Amino acid sequence: MAGTVIGEGLTIEGDISGDDEIVIHGILRGRLTTTDAVTVGGTAVVGADITGASLSVAGQVTGDVTASERVDIQAGGKLVGDIKAARFTIADGASFKGNVDMEV
Amino acid sequence: MSESSVIGAGTVVSGHVRGQGSLEILGRVEGDVSVSGNVVIGPAGRVRGNVSGAQLTIAGHVQGDLRGSEAVLLERGARVAGDITGPRVGIAPGALARGHVTTEGEPAAAAHRPAPAVRVPQPPPRVVPPPPKLEVRAPAPPVKAVPPPAPAPMKLPPPAPAAIKREPAPPAAVRYQPPAPVAVKPLPPTPAQPKPERSASDAPPRPTLASDMEFTPVRPIKPEPRRPPPPVVPVLSKGTKAKKKKSQD
Repeated sequence: MAGTVIGEGLTIEGDISGDDEIVIHGILRGRLTTTDAVTVGGTAVVGADITGASLSVAGQVTGDVTASERVDIQAGGKLVGDIKAARFTIADGASFKGNVDMEV
Repeated sequence: MSESSVIGAGTVVSGHVRGQGSLEILGRVEGDVSVSGNVVIGPAGRVRGNVSGAQLTIAGHVQGDLRGSEAVLLERGARVAGDITGPRVGIAPGALARGHVTTEGEPAAAAHRPAPAVRVPQPPPRVVPPPPKLEVRAPAPPVKAVPPPAPAPMKLPPPAPAAIKREPAPPAAVRYQPPAPVAVKPLPPTPAQPKPERSASDAPPRPTLASDMEFTPVRPIKPEPRRPPPPVVPVLSKGTKAKKKKSQD
C-alpha cells in the first residue's frame, strides 16, 4: 500500500516529509521530501521542490527536483525546474523546461 | 480518480490540508485539516491543528478543535485536547478528551455543572447569623454597669458585640462612655476582615462560649456580608432590657 496518497481534490499547502512512498493526484504547494518514490498523477498540480528516491511525473510539476535514483516524465507530463538525478527520461509528448544535472 | 487520501505513517505534513474527499491520517499533520468527506486518524496518527470533516473517527492524538458535520467519534486510545463539536459525539471508554464538547441541540449538558457549585457557598452564611445573637445576650451585663448613658447604647447597638471583647474599657472610663462607642464602631469591621484569612487565629478568643465551638469554622469563611443584619436584632433586645431595667430601678 502506498504510504501517502494525496487524492484528487485535496490541497496541501505546506511541507511534506517522511520516508513513505508518496502519490499525488491533488494539489501541493510547498515542499516535498521523502526517502522513497514520488509519483505525480495526471490530475496533480505540484508547485514544490521535490526530493526523493525517484520521481514519476504525469501531471504538472513546477520546482526543482533532486532524486537519488531516477526521474521519469511520462507522456502528457509537464515539468518546469532543474533536475538533479542519476537517470532521467522524457517520454514522447512530455514537456520539460530546466537544467539537468546527471552528476556522472 | 482516487478521492480518498492517505497520509502515511512515516509522513509528516506541516501545513494546511483541505479539499474534497475523505482523508486517512496515519502519520503526522501539523496544521489545520479541513475536508468534505470523512477523516480517520489512526492509532499512530498525530494532528496538531483543527480538524473538520463530515465524520471524524479519532484513534490517535489530536491537539486542536474537532468539528464534524455528521459525527465525531473518539475511539479507544484517542487523545484529544481541544473542543469537540458535532451533532453526534461519541467517546469510547479508553479515550481521553480535554476540552469543551458541544452536541448540537443539547447545550444544557454543560449548564448543569456550574449550578451546584454556586449553591454550595450560599448555605453556610445562613447558618452563621444565629450564633451572634447568643453573644449579644451575654454582653448585656457589662451594659448594666453603664445605666446613666443609656441613650447612647440605644443608638449604637451594633458596636455592642465588639464591646464584649473589650469589656475592660467601659469600666475603666465610666465618664468617657460616649467616646467609647465611637471607638467601637471601627472595631467591628476590623475583626470581620481578618477572620476569613486567619480563621484559626481569631477562633481562640471566642471559644469562651462552648456552643460557638461548632460554628467557629463556619463564621470565618463567609459571614462578613450578613453580619450587619444580626446585630440589628440584638439592638432591640438590648434597648428593651435597658428600658425595663431603668423602669425597675
